[in-house]
Amino acid sequence: MRRMPAAILVLSFAVLLPPPPSGADPERPEPLPADALGVILPAPPPAPHQVWVADFVLERTAGFDANDGRLLGMLSAGVGTIAPLFSQARGEIYLPETYYSRGSRGTRTDVVTIYDAATLAPEAEVVVPPKRADVVHAMALSTLLDDGRFLAIANFTPATSVTIVDVEERRLVGEIATAGCHLVYAAGPRRFFMICGDGSLLQVTLDEAGHEQARIRTPPFFAILEDPVTEKAVRRGDEWIFVSFDGLVHSVDVAGETPRFAEPWSLLDEADRGASWRIGGVQHLAVHEASGRLYSLMHRGGPDEHKVPGTEIWVYDLETRRRVQTIGIRNLLGAFLAQQTGTPGGALLWLLERVVPNPGVDSIAVSQDADPRLFGLSRSAGTVAVWDARSGEFLRYLENVGIAPGALQAPWR
Amino acid sequence: MSRSETPSWERHLDRWAEAAARQLARGLSRRSLLGRLGATLAGAAALPLLPVSRVSAASSDPAPAAPEGLDGPEGDPSSCQYWRHCAIDGFLCSCCGGSHTACPPGTVMSPVTWIGTCRNPADGRQYVISYNDCCGKHLCGRCLCNRNEGDRPAYLPPKSNDINWCASAPSTVYHCSTAIVLGVATES
Repeated sequence: MRRMPAAILVLSFAVLLPPPPSGADPERPEPLPADALGVILPAPPPAPHQVWVADFVLERTAGFDANDGRLLGMLSAGVGTIAPLFSQARGEIYLPETYYSRGSRGTRTDVVTIYDAATLAPEAEVVVPPKRADVVHAMALSTLLDDGRFLAIANFTPATSVTIVDVEERRLVGEIATAGCHLVYAAGPRRFFMICGDGSLLQVTLDEAGHEQARIRTPPFFAILEDPVTEKAVRRGDEWIFVSFDGLVHSVDVAGETPRFAEPWSLLDEADRGASWRIGGVQHLAVHEASGRLYSLMHRGGPDEHKVPGTEIWVYDLETRRRVQTIGIRNLLGAFLAQQTGTPGGALLWLLERVVPNPGVDSIAVSQDADPRLFGLSRSAGTVAVWDARSGEFLRYLENVGIAPGALQAPWR
Repeated sequence: MSRSETPSWERHLDRWAEAAARQLARGLSRRSLLGRLGATLAGAAALPLLPVSRVSAASSDPAPAAPEGLDGPEGDPSSCQYWRHCAIDGFLCSCCGGSHTACPPGTVMSPVTWIGTCRNPADGRQYVISYNDCCGKHLCGRCLCNRNEGDRPAYLPPKSNDINWCASAPSTVYHCSTAIVLGVATES
C-alpha cells in the first residue's frame, strides 16, 4: 500500500471534522458524545413474567415483558410450527425449525436450533429427519423430557413417528416408529406418551442413550367418538390434565410405570350446560402448579364450537374440583384500535372497548411464580391481555405482538 | 389492494368483521345435535372406504361426474359460508387464483388430506368433502375461513383440520385449501 502524504491526510480530517469551538456558548448544551458502534444487547435474564408469542407469518417467536410491555427479543424460526422449548437448567432454548433451500421449495432441512437464552443467538444445531409435524395450534408437537436431556419431536408425513434428540450431547439419537399414535407429552426423564386413534395412550420409555427401551399401550381412557379430549392438555407435576369437548376433565398420572387415569369430573354443572357454556379456543387451558388453580377459556355456543374464542376465563381449584372465580375478558380489539390511533389509553380506549364487538381470547397461559400473571391472546386483535392470576385484576395490554400470533408461552420460573 | 399496502388496522378490522360474520352465520345455520351426530357418524363410516390418496389417480382419470342434484346455484365458493366449507380451516383457493376444486397456478395439491361431511342445501344430501391443501407457495392470505363441523383433534388425523396436509406434498409450505366432493355420504 502506498503511503498517503501527511499533508493530504491532515487536509482530509480538516474537511471531515467540524471547526473547533471559538468559545463556550452558555445558552447551548454540550455536544453529544459519539455513540459506540456495533453494540448488541444481551437478553434480559429469564423471569416468570416474560411471555413468548409465536407468529407463523412473521416466522418467529418473540418475548415480551408483561410488567412493562417491552419486546425483549425474538427467535427466527423458518416455516411451519413454531414451538420453542425452554431449558431453565441449561439456559438454552431449543427450536425445531424447517427450511427449504429455495424458500418455499427445494430441499427440506429440519433442525433443532440451540439458542443461548442469555443472548438469543444460535449456538448449535442438530439436523433431524425432515418429518416434523406442522399443526396450526403448535401444541404437543415436541417436548423436553423431565431432566432436560432428551427432546422428542412428533413427526407426520402423514405416517407418524417420533424423533429423539440428545440436547446435552447435541446429537440426533434416532427415530421411533409409533404408527397410529400422534403428539408427544413428557412423562419423566426418560419417558413420553402419545395419544392413539382409539383413545388410548402409547407410553414409550427410553434407555440412557435415548433409544426405545419399553412401550406400553393403555386401554382407551375417553370416549373417542362421543366426547374426545382436546390435545391441548396442561401439566401439573406428574398429572396431565386433558379436557373433553363437553368439559369433562380426564387426568393422567404418569408417576408410575403405567399411566393411571383418575375418575373424570366436569367443569360444567347443570346450570352451565343449560346456558350452553362450553370450552373453546386454540389454547384453552392453563394451570398454576403451586396453587392448583386451573384456568379454562369458556364461551356460550353449540357443538363444533371447540375453537371459538372464550369470553370468560373460569378458574377451578383442582383439589375441591369447584369453580372459585370467573374472570371477564376485556375487549382486546378495542385496545388494538385505540393503540393504532396513537392513544392507547384514556377516553378513546374506554369508548372503543364498549363500541367494538369483543373478539374474545383464543389462547391463555399463566406464569408459575408466587405472584402469577395470567395471559390471554386475541389472534384477531394481535393483542395480549395481562391479569393478576390470583385476584383476576386486569393489569395491562401488550399490543402488536404479531400479525398472525399463535402459541403463547410463559416458560421461565 | 395488496396485503403489503393495506394498513395493519384495516387488516385486523377485516379479519374481525369476517370472524363476526362467521360467528353469526354459525348461529343461524345451527342444526340439531342429532343431525350433526348422524352426519359425523355417516362420514366416519365412509372413512375406511375412502382412498386416502386420490391426486395421482385423478391426474389421469377423467373428472368425476357431478353427483345428481348438484346442478343449479350452489352458492359462492369464495364465501366462508359456502356449504362445502363446513369443516375447512385455511385460505379459500377460490380467492387465491384457484377454485374450490382446483389449486392456483404453480402450486401442488396435497395427495393426502382430511375429510369433512357437509350438507348441500340444494339437495339436502350429506357429502364427503376432501379438503386438499395446495402447497409450495407461501400463505395466500385471502379469505381465511375456519369452520369445524366434525373437526377432531390432531391425534385423529383424517378428521383434523388443524394439520398442515402439505405434509404429504413435495413442499410442506401451505398456500390454500380446496373443498372437493368425493361422493354422497352413506346414510346411517
